[in-house]
Amino acid sequence: MQLFWTICKKIVQLIGMLLLLSFVVFYISRLAPGDPLRSYYGDQVERMTTEQKIQVKEQLGLNQPIYRQYQIWLQNAIKGNFGISFQYKQSVSVVVKNHWVNTLILGLSSYLLTFLLALLLGVSCAVREDSWYDKIICNIGTALSCIPSFWIALILILIFSVNLSVLPSFGAYGVGQSGSLISRINHLILPLTVLILGHLWYYAYFVRNLFLEEFQQDYVLFCRAKGLTSHQIVWKHCLRNMLPSYFSMMVISIPHIIGGTYIVEQVFSYPGLGKLCFESAKYHDYNLLMLLCCITGFFVLCSSMLSQLLSIWLNPQTRKESRMNAKSPI
Amino acid sequence: MQNHLFEFVETVKQDITPLQMTKPTRQYPYSSMILLGIILCGCVFIPLIVNRNPTQLNLQAVAQPPNGDFYFGTDTLGRDVFSMIWYGGRVSILIGLLAAGISGTIALLYGTMSAFAVKWIDDFLMRAIELALSIPSILLIIFLQAIVNQANPITIAVVIGCCSWMGMAKMVRDEVQKIKYAGYMVAAKTMHANFFHVLKYHILPNLFPSIMFMLVTSVSSAITTEATLSFLGIGLPVESISWGSILAQADKALLSNQWWLIVIPGIFLVITIICITQIANHIRRERNQTCSKLW
Repeated sequence: MQLFWTICKKIVQLIGMLLLLSFVVFYISRLAPGDPLRSYYGDQVERMTTEQKIQVKEQLGLNQPIYRQYQIWLQNAIKGNFGISFQYKQSVSVVVKNHWVNTLILGLSSYLLTFLLALLLGVSCAVREDSWYDKIICNIGTALSCIPSFWIALILILIFSVNLSVLPSFGAYGVGQSGSLISRINHLILPLTVLILGHLWYYAYFVRNLFLEEFQQDYVLFCRAKGLTSHQIVWKHCLRNMLPSYFSMMVISIPHIIGGTYIVEQVFSYPGLGKLCFESAKYHDYNLLMLLCCITGFFVLCSSMLSQLLSIWLNPQTRKESRMNAKSPI
Repeated sequence: MQNHLFEFVETVKQDITPLQMTKPTRQYPYSSMILLGIILCGCVFIPLIVNRNPTQLNLQAVAQPPNGDFYFGTDTLGRDVFSMIWYGGRVSILIGLLAAGISGTIALLYGTMSAFAVKWIDDFLMRAIELALSIPSILLIIFLQAIVNQANPITIAVVIGCCSWMGMAKMVRDEVQKIKYAGYMVAAKTMHANFFHVLKYHILPNLFPSIMFMLVTSVSSAITTEATLSFLGIGLPVESISWGSILAQADKALLSNQWWLIVIPGIFLVITIICITQIANHIRRERNQTCSKLW
């Protein structure tokens, strides 16, 4: 019952923080210098007279005070109308609808593959602890996690696209082949590799440490005494004990993975939400920027709320500690 | 009395087990320190070694691969990449240090204030941090950079510093919460110690081991962020010299297969970051604290 009220409180906090986030983004994006008309009209802005500019601004609703603009935006947003993108000259929801599927494919596949491969790599390192295999993989992994993701992307493009001409380097699918699965997979290989290489070692190290802690427990000795093989001990017994921590780590790291896809989409010109974000921030396309920030903010806040709920559910100690902290001599 | 004392000492001596005496000593990361020292010395003393002007546009030798004359080749404007790397290294490393200093200071003050405040202020400040963390940091940096609209190294360092203090502030707050109720803190409070006295003489010495790891890691992440920003076109422009601005020409360099503009600055960047990370890991292992690197 208390969990139900905690969830309700968290949902109210989520909505409040979303409103605050949209308010802050609205203000900052409008206060930033730069001409939004440039994204609407391109270079023709310089040839427009002042009266024409004032007329266009009135048409787009940009000449009113900022709090009034925010009020209009909020009223429209609750009904579902997020405005018009200046760059694409279409409704913002249509623009996002064309692009979110690509980001979903890239983000979801990189998320699942990263955690699966991290689990396998972490287990193989933990089972062979302190051997040459473990030491080499640890060193390579630490080195790989320090390399900036855009540089790995550039090197891979240089090797595979420019020199060997094996894999494509931009876009999500070939020209006119948006339905072809093979073309999509072909274009996904390089961005996926970059994303996985960037994040793999962080989680593999986490898995390795979790399993090393598990191996120090008494039940492992008992299983060995019973005569179980290493394979059975690891996959039938230890895995179940470390999965709760692993799942909470997975939920906490959703915003990290989302942030990683932005840069990779920009380098590979992959038509997804990340590329849209950069374009709209650079060219002051306000409506698109607001919707994208709301979407991103929603995912991040949801995942942090989920991770908090998960940690409370798994660890009733935290509730006791918060009650203890309330009494203080100072 | 003295005999009893010696007997006591004898018993204590026998209690030390052989396992404690054969504890393995930590190894210093010698290779990382030497490599980082070479790069830092190179950046500082480059006018004494090879004195070629990095801003000089050698228009007769545009976009040449590495040869005997220009050790690392020339870029699309004709500048010598070898001297650009060492002079640019100064800028990049200084941006990293400045950004880490700014973010460390802000995190320390914010975390300590939040830990000492009343519970509802504490909750509010922590929610504000979560809100700030909910925007992907790259977007926040783009916003602030667009507002500031100047592209010199100091403004970029300030922008990066102002966007990366959140994780450290959370950790500072947790650590200060643990030592808030210690005896010496209560004593200091009864003797009317003000906030900055407590910060300087009581909190900082206790926090130093845990915060050292995050500070050193934030130096490396600030250098990476500067390179990423310059690559995306938002950071330092191509006219100014830093590792990131050489990489800013990478898009066009890809099309004409000018590998030396991408591989060489990248290798220097990667080596510096790996060395700094190894030193930070050594600090963490030595202090034996499990600090979580919150992003």
